[in-house]
Amino acid sequence: MDTPPFLRMSGVRKRYGGVTALAGADFGAEAGSVHAVLGPNGSGKSTLLKVLTGVVRPDAGEVLLEDRRLRPRGPRDTLAAGVSAVYQELSLIEDFSVLDNLVLGVEPTRFGLRDRRAARERALPWLERFAPAFGGRVPAEERVGDLDPGERQVAEICKALVRDPRVLVLDEATASLRRAQVRVLFDVVAELRERGVLILFITHRLAEIRAVCDFATIMRNGRDVTTVAVDETAEGELVELMSGGPAPAAAHPGGAAAGAAETPGSGAAVEAAAPGAAASARSALDGADRADQAHETAPLLEVEELTGDRLDHVSLQVRPGEVLGLGGLQGQGQSELLATLFGARRRLGGSVRLFGRAIRPRSPKQAVREGIAYVPGNRGLQGLALGRPILENFALPSVGRRATLGVALSKRREAAAARAVAERIGTRYGSLDDPVSTLSGGNQQKIVVGKWFPTEPAVVLMDDPAKGIDVGAKAEMFAVVAELAASGAAVVLGSSDDRELVEVCDRVLVLFEGRIVDEVAGDRLTEDTLIASAMHVTDANGAGRPVPEPGEGGPTPQAGADGDADPDGPPRDPGATGRSAGADDSNAARGAESPAGRAEPGPARRAQASTDNGGAA
Amino acid sequence: MSVSTAEPGAPEQPPAPTRPPLLHRLVRDPVVISGSVAVLLWGVAALVSPSFADWNQLVTLMTVASFLGVISIGQTLVIIAGGEGIDLSVGATATLSAIVASRFMDGTNDGFLGAVLLALGACCVVGVVNAVGVLAFRVPPLVMTLGMIAVVTGFIRLYTGGRPEGSAAPLLRTLVAGDTVAGIPGVLWLWLGLSVLVVWLLRRSPFGWRLYAVGANRTTAYLSGVNTAAVKFSAYVLSSLFAGVGGLLLLGYSQNVYTSLGTDYMLNSVAAAVIGGTALIGGVGGYLGTVIGAILLTVLDSLLRIMQIGGGEWGDAPRQIIYGLVLVTVLTAYGRQKRLRQ
Repeated sequence: MDTPPFLRMSGVRKRYGGVTALAGADFGAEAGSVHAVLGPNGSGKSTLLKVLTGVVRPDAGEVLLEDRRLRPRGPRDTLAAGVSAVYQELSLIEDFSVLDNLVLGVEPTRFGLRDRRAARERALPWLERFAPAFGGRVPAEERVGDLDPGERQVAEICKALVRDPRVLVLDEATASLRRAQVRVLFDVVAELRERGVLILFITHRLAEIRAVCDFATIMRNGRDVTTVAVDETAEGELVELMSGGPAPAAAHPGGAAAGAAETPGSGAAVEAAAPGAAASARSALDGADRADQAHETAPLLEVEELTGDRLDHVSLQVRPGEVLGLGGLQGQGQSELLATLFGARRRLGGSVRLFGRAIRPRSPKQAVREGIAYVPGNRGLQGLALGRPILENFALPSVGRRATLGVALSKRREAAAARAVAERIGTRYGSLDDPVSTLSGGNQQKIVVGKWFPTEPAVVLMDDPAKGIDVGAKAEMFAVVAELAASGAAVVLGSSDDRELVEVCDRVLVLFEGRIVDEVAGDRLTEDTLIASAMHVTDANGAGRPVPEPGEGGPTPQAGADGDADPDGPPRDPGATGRSAGADDSNAARGAESPAGRAEPGPARRAQASTDNGGAA
Repeated sequence: MSVSTAEPGAPEQPPAPTRPPLLHRLVRDPVVISGSVAVLLWGVAALVSPSFADWNQLVTLMTVASFLGVISIGQTLVIIAGGEGIDLSVGATATLSAIVASRFMDGTNDGFLGAVLLALGACCVVGVVNAVGVLAFRVPPLVMTLGMIAVVTGFIRLYTGGRPEGSAAPLLRTLVAGDTVAGIPGVLWLWLGLSVLVVWLLRRSPFGWRLYAVGANRTTAYLSGVNTAAVKFSAYVLSSLFAGVGGLLLLGYSQNVYTSLGTDYMLNSVAAAVIGGTALIGGVGGYLGTVIGAILLTVLDSLLRIMQIGGGEWGDAPRQIIYGLVLVTVLTAYGRQKRLRQ
């Protein structure tokens, strides 16, 4: 580039304790473009953007915005320079109204007093713009604590926009959004681009990048690898750049062909490549065989007519070695079901039998004693004690079991136990005494799963365990899950990612409003079926009806807008083959693979699976 | 030093984390910082008044520190347990323990054991009430334990009629102040023993590990099968129990009791823990730091006394100001500790 770019970061370095997050990264982006920052977890993309927003102070390197050096002492300074960010962790104050949150820190004043009218004038247009994402209402005076997670995320985005940014950073901002919300966001992003705003976009979902981004910078190991123009780069190439390995896309003839047959270059085949790795867990164990065997054995966990808050007479059975999925739209009782089984939520009725014996855990402690393990989705808040050493995090669920006479621990014994698990699940760490917060997200998540190994659980409950971790770490984590299942454990996996369910589970139950409305298994177990199944029910209730995927018409999100205005759109035929336009997946942009592609995983996928799994099968 | 367990050829992991050099970590360790400051202050005191360096003076200094040290054991546990945990009632509880014990000992050895058990039993009741208030009724610990001060003080006034009776048993006096082994009074041996026990409890017992986990992230601990309520309950009861032990030691040292015997320990116990690196957010710290913190506070107080700062028309005021400034200065150094990666 001849002219200096609008935003330039050069030689940025940052170390956290013993971990190098950024090892001299360079980054440049132009105004009026949407620029994706891609890379596996731990590659430093979040840190890079936190340096830009002033949250993290770099050890070395400089940031130039319009050729002016930015030396932020904190987010206030970067805000003043026009950099506004939406983070993964929400930064809203629950007890404030949405409006108050939106103007927090930039409150308009009149004679030194807060001017509420000016505040409304400033914030309301954005809330109105996002009204479809709030289910048609404008929740200006509502308490943030009363919003659901997706709406909170939208409010968070509005908060960034109220600051009239010249640079808008979206760090995994779509992770907890529903389709319709993502669509509104992408519309707004397109408008902002027209107005010359630079939008930086971090996501794990390649198809979202396809849908809105102009450029993509790929990061690896704390450095920038390259920057490419998105529409000139094949998805497989992006994945290859991210993983540093060979292009897995080529290894998936089924997926690639399906994508090509549909809408060439539309992004349909995008993720066929990446999460293909996640299929490893299932393929390695040869799902079909295992499922057949499972049908002959007696169920390990039997749940009958379980009721509770947001649970409506749920009955299910899981056999040893089986991975049972919980699907459907987000927030339909999947989390509540898992938490109730684990004794973390009150059970109001029904029975649970483990090994044929009725159990009634009233606390996680009792559930753990019965042989149940629980892997929460939010590792920072629920899965780890971030400031404590890795060793203590590993030991927590089982620490009493290794103590002599129940009171005396041996450091050596604890370290040996932790090391054994770390080796099995392939976790990298500096020292077991380092805080677990020094690890990358993927490695942290592996500890959240691995810490249960010493308790030898009979049932493993997982609540969206792969949220926000990259495809490689995801595949490794599900290999760990497969290993647990192979050793005879029953696994119940709740997930907001239909693709993940299809790849990892033997059978998927679809939930809606706390009820099980469908069971999907065998040949029917495809993403399309799951989507259709979740949507069909929703249709009957007139809410959340299928809307076209934002990425559908290429980079201009408006293309699919009319779909929203068609309330009588026929429900999808679950059996439809090929790419179904309306049955976009819940994450708005994961692209789709034809059932044919799914049924015949490419040879490379199988090969990769067996290496990943280390012969667990 | 670094251990890598990832299989070779794993796709593009970040480089194995390395730890910063030992020296780097040491100069940021609160225990090292407060230890150095304590030694420094002691050196200054010895320069100002050479007799300060005498063995006898040192033993006296440590004896005074031991009362604070023992009372701060429970404070440390409660603060580590997190959830804005703090126990302001330790001072009042120590007084309660001394008053009950002195009444039942009444200057003889006859009822020694009974008096000790009764005094500690009364303290445990205080701890249980604190714990129930905090855990079952969700009263913020600060408010709950502050309220308990009033309750315990009121009870003491009712119980004694404003004039405490009795005195320490000779046995207790000997145990605390008498030369036992190697010219070191019993109270220091006891403090040493308790320190080893508490450090072991925190570092090498399931209770200790769970306590840290509960303090660092209660939800995680709960979802990992830890009975978080039981852990916190134990912390509050142990806090009152050790406050009671401290009260008994104070009784043995001063032989007679008065109703404000433990008052100074309320905030000093918190200061000792915090100076020793136990963070008020919970889940961080340890008892070794508190020991150093207790010694630091005692040395500082003695130094200001021998420098004859204060007294006269200004009373204690100048001493308190300097005391406070030194604490703030030491704590500022901790602000430089490395930030956690989020």
